Amino acid sequence: NTTQTKKKRKNRFADETERVFLPNMPTNISSNMTEQQQKIYILQVQIEELTRRLKMNDLGIPANVEARSPSPEPIYDQQGKRQNTREVRARRKIEEQRHQLVTELLVLNPDYKAPSDYKPQQAKYID
Amino acid sequence: PGVNFSASNASTEVLCLLNMVTEEELRDDEEFEDIMEDVREECGKYGLVKSLEIPRPIQGVDVPGVGKIFVEFTSISECQKAQQALTGRKFANRVVVTSYYDPDRYHRREF
Repeated sequence: NTTQTKKKRKNRFADETERVFLPNMPTNISSNMTEQQQKIYILQVQIEELTRRLKMNDLGIPANVEARSPSPEPIYDQQGKRQNTREVRARRKIEEQRHQLVTELLVLNPDYKAPSDYKPQQAKYID
Repeated sequence: PGVNFSASNASTEVLCLLNMVTEEELRDDEEFEDIMEDVREECGKYGLVKSLEIPRPIQGVDVPGVGKIFVEFTSISECQKAQQALTGRKFANRVVVTSYYDPDRYHRREF
């Protein structure tokens, strides 16, 4: 039934059981917030969600091997241990995303306290 | 954290969904249609969707409400059901944030 599976595309909503709970950050918010407050709050939610994913090791690596992107050439350290594993690359990607969001939020709210595990990235990312 | 934004949140029949879509996705016609369909389908499980508004970006125009999705139900209780079912859910791997919206402002298209 290829035609049926093609017709029935996947809804972007994840299953009801996969609900995200962020400590101290309710996902139902007051309608009295200003545009600016809302923007700041959403950025915080996005940052907290990435922090949660890093903590829970929820790196978004597809379980299905075929769905994964091709790996770059391996890089080894002096002990011969691989440096750029899929996990390492996925973490780095999330950390970079979070760094972008923290940077954006600090512009809107200079008093913002970044997550405790957040380290500002001084080094420019070299592709 | 800090300010309690969850206070004073009276339910209405209009639900505002935040953090679900990017401007880039909204610009793409096919993707936009898919998003409309996904939201309509999911919200339909909790009540009758009377109307659905997803503001789209227009080049060179500051369109209010871009990035937000508004769903009008026929009753407050249906809207509450949808709110409870959708808040904190993942949509395209983003965490859904919900907020009730003033129906008058919605009908005046004050997004």
